[in-house]
Amino acid sequence: MAIQIVMDGTGDSRHHFNSHDAQEIAKAEQRFYELTKVGFTAAVRTGPGQVCQIRSFDPNAEETVFFPRLVGG
Amino acid sequence: MFGFRPLPPGGRSRKRATRALFIMHGSEGTPEGRSLLLLRKWLSPSQREQFGRKGYFEVVGSGSGNRYRIHAGASVNVCEIDERGCLQEGLCFMPIGALPIGDVMLAQKIALETCEDKARAVARRFTPNGFHFRQARPLG
Repeated sequence: MAIQIVMDGTGDSRHHFNSHDAQEIAKAEQRFYELTKVGFTAAVRTGPGQVCQIRSFDPNAEETVFFPRLVGG
Repeated sequence: MFGFRPLPPGGRSRKRATRALFIMHGSEGTPEGRSLLLLRKWLSPSQREQFGRKGYFEVVGSGSGNRYRIHAGASVNVCEIDERGCLQEGLCFMPIGALPIGDVMLAQKIALETCEDKARAVARRFTPNGFHFRQARPLG
């Protein structure tokens, strides 16, 4: 099972999907583009402590984190 | 008279381990706890160790290779450091919305490690001092 983790006020919302199920992949892909379209940044882990930003949906990514647009404090 | 006894050998480490277990398991139900668990999962082993021991961890900027220290906090908690570890310029930036501390720190780590320029472009600068980075309680 792959997971999309969306940061929000509750800590995060987690959306699991089966990366072998076309219907679930389509839903996850739609969520990916909906979030990035409104300014969320998507990132995946590429190794222990190593991160990488992704701009297109990767159905093979085990864990994708989304965080909202950055602003100055 | 008051019955104070010295801790037995190994007692202090057992006490610390028990406290760590309590923090880890007791915190899963709270937004802050969940966010800190996620942050710890995404840190490298050395960052995790540093965060647990010192209350901050260091990252390397993707563009410049400069080092930044991310302290526990949700704002006014990032500082560029020089090669000797001395505080340089403070950067205040965070994801929009009221996110718990762990999520803010993870977003700051990802931003500096993958799109440093973008993070620096939005950040408000401040002159760091010890007061900004006082650690109120261990979070790592």
